[in-house]
Amino acid sequence: MSRVLKPFLIILALANVAACTQVQPWQRGYLAKEEMAWKTDPLESALNDHIFFSKEASSGGSSAAGGGCGCN
Amino acid sequence: MKAKTSHSLIALSTTALALPGIAIADAPPVASTLSYKISNYKEDDLRREESPFGELERYDIDVHQFQLIAPVGRDFSLQIDANYEDLSGASPWFTTLGPDGSPIVNLSGASGIQDRRAELSIGSRYYLENGSIGGNIGYSEEDDYRATYGGLSAERNFNNDLTTFSVGLSYSADDIFPVDAEIFNRVVSENKTSTSAVVNVSQVLNQVSTIQVALSVTEQAGFLTDPYKLRDNRPDEKTQVAVTSSYRRFIRWADAAWHINYRYYDDDFGVSSQTIDMSWHQNLGRSFQLIPTLRYYSQTAANFFTNVDDFTRPDTDFQSSDYRLSAFGAFSGGLSLKADLGGWRTTLTLERYIADEKYAAHEVELPSTALVRYFRVSAGVDFSF
Repeated sequence: MSRVLKPFLIILALANVAACTQVQPWQRGYLAKEEMAWKTDPLESALNDHIFFSKEASSGGSSAAGGGCGCN
Repeated sequence: MKAKTSHSLIALSTTALALPGIAIADAPPVASTLSYKISNYKEDDLRREESPFGELERYDIDVHQFQLIAPVGRDFSLQIDANYEDLSGASPWFTTLGPDGSPIVNLSGASGIQDRRAELSIGSRYYLENGSIGGNIGYSEEDDYRATYGGLSAERNFNNDLTTFSVGLSYSADDIFPVDAEIFNRVVSENKTSTSAVVNVSQVLNQVSTIQVALSVTEQAGFLTDPYKLRDNRPDEKTQVAVTSSYRRFIRWADAAWHINYRYYDDDFGVSSQTIDMSWHQNLGRSFQLIPTLRYYSQTAANFFTNVDDFTRPDTDFQSSDYRLSAFGAFSGGLSLKADLGGWRTTLTLERYIADEKYAAHEVELPSTALVRYFRVSAGVDFSF
């Protein structure tokens, strides 16, 4: 578990340092663009997650899992 | 002039509150969107040297995905997802030593597998001043598998909406009832549960970049063995942990967004993996977007993986020749073209995936046969109204 927690905490700490930068609401035009979303195409992301879950041993990501399947 | 400035500020502030790069948003979607995507997923046939006898053809799957996202009143949104899959083909049944001493694989039955999967999920979200809470329930059914699941999530914005903290919980109860159980001496009926929790922090770094880091933990309990393998026995508990980090940057001179995601995964079957994927979202004028993607994946083998089934060992010993539990690496690349046509958006995607033990990031002790290579083509349409 510590092997996993360590990089998580390091990235979190770096992000917190960066959080000192203040970006005002009127400076967020580029961030608001659709192509900057974490998931720009939810159906494409869901399909890829489903395929990789079926064909690789790993799963888990930035959102909680849905139901399983008998895919083999 | 003063009034005009004020309106501009309000518009900009409203935009900032709905930043897709930061959070789900603090307000329901302004319009309803109905989406449909059709995909064909086709695995390459096995080579004759990998499987000297019988069928070589592997899975060919058609996938239909439907999604409706709609605002409900001022503070709620509704999301309905429906998926349908129609699959045929064959999957690895057991492995033996070939004439030259290399492992070979035998695919399931001469007639292969025919199956269908239907899934329905319904979710809703309630939007607060600085965050949102939501939940969903879902049901998935196949000829031999049934999953009932649900989830809850909540998120809160801090730091002048530059930081978002979110948590999610999900639970799935799955029933497995293999076909032809008596003929092939398979289990008749089994079940398993999966409980998952995720913690997620997103942070705006500057005017053009954001970062997200997430930690997810999943506990699986119950029947985790593959009932269609001739010899397969796995522990009945598994803990999976994954750390995911994502970065988005808008490149002003190119009018494009660069996405990069990294995941480290570890479980107590002994598998650990690393995944890195990148995509470049290139705007072409106001109506088109071209998106090349590249992904690399590498995993270690499960402790009980074998590339040749050992039928002399007791049934109670853990062992599996499932290629998904072997050590391998995989490259995949894709290209998507999006076109915006007023309220309609169309998307065409092509993707190629190749897994091979040679691509692993480390030395592979027991290379598996039957690693997957596939080609996928998808076409989607979104309609906003």
